[in-house]
Amino acid sequence: MNIKKTLIIFLGLVCFLYSCTKNEYEGPSIEILYGDFEVIEPLKLTNKSPSFSSNEQVGFHCEFNKPVEWKIAIQGLSTNANREITGFSSLIDSSMIIWKGGPSQVPFFSEEACAIELTFENEIDTIKDTINIISAKTYENGVWLENFEDGLPNDGLVYYNTDGGGMTFSVANDDALLGSSYFKMGGKVNWDWPLGNLDLPVNITNINQSSENLYINIGILSDLEDLHTGQFINILISEETEIPFNDNLENNASDLFESTMEVYKIKVPVDWNGWQMKSFRYSDFEPVSPNNQNINFNMNPNDIRAIRISCQACPSSTGNPICPENFGKDVRTDIDHIIFTENYSLLEQ
Amino acid sequence: MKRSFILLLVFCAVFFSTVHIHAQVNENIWFDGLSRSYFVRDALDKSTMYDTISAKNSSNGYNLLDLNTHVNPIKNIEIFAQIRIKNSFGSFFGSGTEINVRQLKAKGTINDKVRFSIGDLFLKQSKFTLYNYDEELSGYENDMLKPYRDIIHYENFYTENRWRLHGIQTDFSFKFDRFIRSLSFDFFVTRPRGSSQINETTYSSDLLLSGGSMISEINKRLTLSSNYINLFEVASSGTQNISVRNPVHDISLLHHFSNDKHRIEQKLQTGFSQRYWLHTELENGIADSISNDTKGMYFELDNKYIKKDSTLSLTVGYRYIDPNFRSAGAQTRRLDYASGNSNTIYPIYTNMSLRRPTSMFDLLSDDGLYNQDLSSILMAFNPIYSNVLPYGEATPNRTGVYLKAKINNTNKVFLGKINAGLFKEVIGQGTAEKRQFRLLKGMFTINLHHRFNWKKEFSLSTSSESKVTSRGGDSISSLNLVSHQVNTSLNVELAKKFFIQTSYKQFYANGNEFLTQRDNYGNITNFTLAQVNQKDHMLSLGLLYSFRENVYANLQYNWWGMTFSDQEYLDYKYNRLILILSVEL
Repeated sequence: MNIKKTLIIFLGLVCFLYSCTKNEYEGPSIEILYGDFEVIEPLKLTNKSPSFSSNEQVGFHCEFNKPVEWKIAIQGLSTNANREITGFSSLIDSSMIIWKGGPSQVPFFSEEACAIELTFENEIDTIKDTINIISAKTYENGVWLENFEDGLPNDGLVYYNTDGGGMTFSVANDDALLGSSYFKMGGKVNWDWPLGNLDLPVNITNINQSSENLYINIGILSDLEDLHTGQFINILISEETEIPFNDNLENNASDLFESTMEVYKIKVPVDWNGWQMKSFRYSDFEPVSPNNQNINFNMNPNDIRAIRISCQACPSSTGNPICPENFGKDVRTDIDHIIFTENYSLLEQ
Repeated sequence: MKRSFILLLVFCAVFFSTVHIHAQVNENIWFDGLSRSYFVRDALDKSTMYDTISAKNSSNGYNLLDLNTHVNPIKNIEIFAQIRIKNSFGSFFGSGTEINVRQLKAKGTINDKVRFSIGDLFLKQSKFTLYNYDEELSGYENDMLKPYRDIIHYENFYTENRWRLHGIQTDFSFKFDRFIRSLSFDFFVTRPRGSSQINETTYSSDLLLSGGSMISEINKRLTLSSNYINLFEVASSGTQNISVRNPVHDISLLHHFSNDKHRIEQKLQTGFSQRYWLHTELENGIADSISNDTKGMYFELDNKYIKKDSTLSLTVGYRYIDPNFRSAGAQTRRLDYASGNSNTIYPIYTNMSLRRPTSMFDLLSDDGLYNQDLSSILMAFNPIYSNVLPYGEATPNRTGVYLKAKINNTNKVFLGKINAGLFKEVIGQGTAEKRQFRLLKGMFTINLHHRFNWKKEFSLSTSSESKVTSRGGDSISSLNLVSHQVNTSLNVELAKKFFIQTSYKQFYANGNEFLTQRDNYGNITNFTLAQVNQKDHMLSLGLLYSFRENVYANLQYNWWGMTFSDQEYLDYKYNRLILILSVEL
């Protein structure tokens, strides 16, 4: 091939290549990304008087000229309850960004007026609005619920160290999270870790969700005054299907939580002040006896037979001074509203 | 190719050939490999004031032996296994000892005509289809840092710009007495990634890479070659119904002519790629669909002049790569800045426990930062180190001219190399304005022992690499980034094969650039503005005793660190003592 032919092919290809370029540029416009922020469409609410108890919801719509970190803050003007919804986009789409009436954390919203505030990171713009809750959301939409409103369940079992001081393993009515009753768990056992536990039978054989999509929600109240720094709750869930819940009538605890059984556990350090609603995905629970080769640890929510809420605290007495700073302090890990939910945690529903 | 299959193959081959081995000569089994003793002691520099949390110094090391066993059970079959025995310093009674099978391969020839290989393959095609480009900052590096670079390449299986893959390969050729002179073929099928569990109910698909090459010597002056490669997922091997497809076609024509003194080569290369994701809807009873479909082409004209006495080599060329050209085999990077790999040496620094930014020294010394897996989308890169051609010569959205030259005199007193390029984007990113790229690399070595006829080596080497990126336009989208690397080194042979070495390496970057963020399908979703003003330095002093080629003992002390101006990072300085004894068996 001579040089002339090569040159002709080369020039032909160059002309062809320049005709290939179609788009003006790749990616989003830098001028818009780094230019001045503008609200193209103002904030619109799809429902300004929601009745959350009737499963109504509030959708938010707003459009900007560039993707930004945005935050919608909803605050109950009576209860001080609040909910935050955040995202990074140039569009808040009312079909995607919705509020179903739950708070980010307790307290819960009631029938009240709420202030809405939409803010943007690194921008001074703030968009405000209000809504009026006609009826508050209810929190009983779950596959299993125990709220202690009818006292301690008949088949529930309570065990606690009777040598302890000020032990409070009973239903109380003075400061419930929801409704009027809750279960007090606390006291003073300075020399040992366990204080006591509450065992409840569970029957959810009709659910189809995997462990990834089953949430265990529980309201927990900690010290209101003087926090015991080493206190925690262990939540145990048993999938033992052969043995009855209360096989041995001699003791005051269920017989479904032995180390030879398929039992899962999660530990919850209780280090806050007041009520909080905690939610845990069932798949995040860990086997209690992972090294026992005779147990087939294969989580199956259908097989859940019992739940144990166990109150424990770091010992502080001179005989076992692991946390001496807590000596003389009362442990308080009261609980309320234990509810199993599907697909979403209770507050996300 | 599954390891278990290869293990079974090796076992069968070894077992069934045992009688033969014992009865025949020992040449049926032979060994080679590599042994390395490695010790490092890293320390905070005495001038470091704001880090009282990190250990003042730490040391570690290991001994390793990679024993290559070659078994020839019959004449045309070879089974190869590389067994690694590694013992970390400070471990006792085998607690810190690892024994791994590092490579397994069976290869042979069928009927003395068709070659085949099964197992670990090291594959390379053209620079636009399958090519493992060198990592950044590695060009024109001085000899003193070669032990560091050798370890990175060896540990990551970087051999002759090939990708290490598992699979099967075959090649064969024909010779003709008319029309064309020869015709060679090469085919392979590999599995870069197997199906794996993503969560309880989801499994990723197998990722396969297949390809073939055909080279034909048409006459004494003309060679035609073509390559095809396809990276694809097998959706049925996982639970996801989306699978990538990335076929690339390549063709090149090489013309050369020469006389007693000169040789001139002209290479015309072009090809195109397609990449898309196939959505298989078999279960829903509807037709398959595709998404994120991109097609792109490339073209290169390369002209090379070589003086046959090796005193001059000159290459000039023009290259055009379409913005949508995608080739996983050629565009996968050795360094992935989005992988989240942290530095091995002092990953956390300062009393605020900040994550230490990766420096030039880390890129040189930390083999754990490097990648061995092909990626179907463009990987993240750091523009301060490689903004001009981050994906090698296959970098998409580039058009421009380049020049490479190598000059030395006949008695090898002087050696000079130049690599220059002027490129620009084909289309802009985030703006219609296009980036302009300028690259200038040069290296100069003077061998004084040749000049004065000394028996012992005395050589001085220096190199420089400058990269400039600029973009005009408005004040928001305009940018300017300059990076510059300088190397100097001195090699003095004190006694026979015993050298004292010193080198200084500095890297400087200043300016601003927009970092691109891409989604799972490689589309640009955002640009992040980065302001850079930093300086890396590395001073080294060491001794080298070279027993023979590839057998050496090297003792070095390195002073290294980074300084930042107008950036959120704090400066740092560290020192390192390193001892390497490397023996190629």
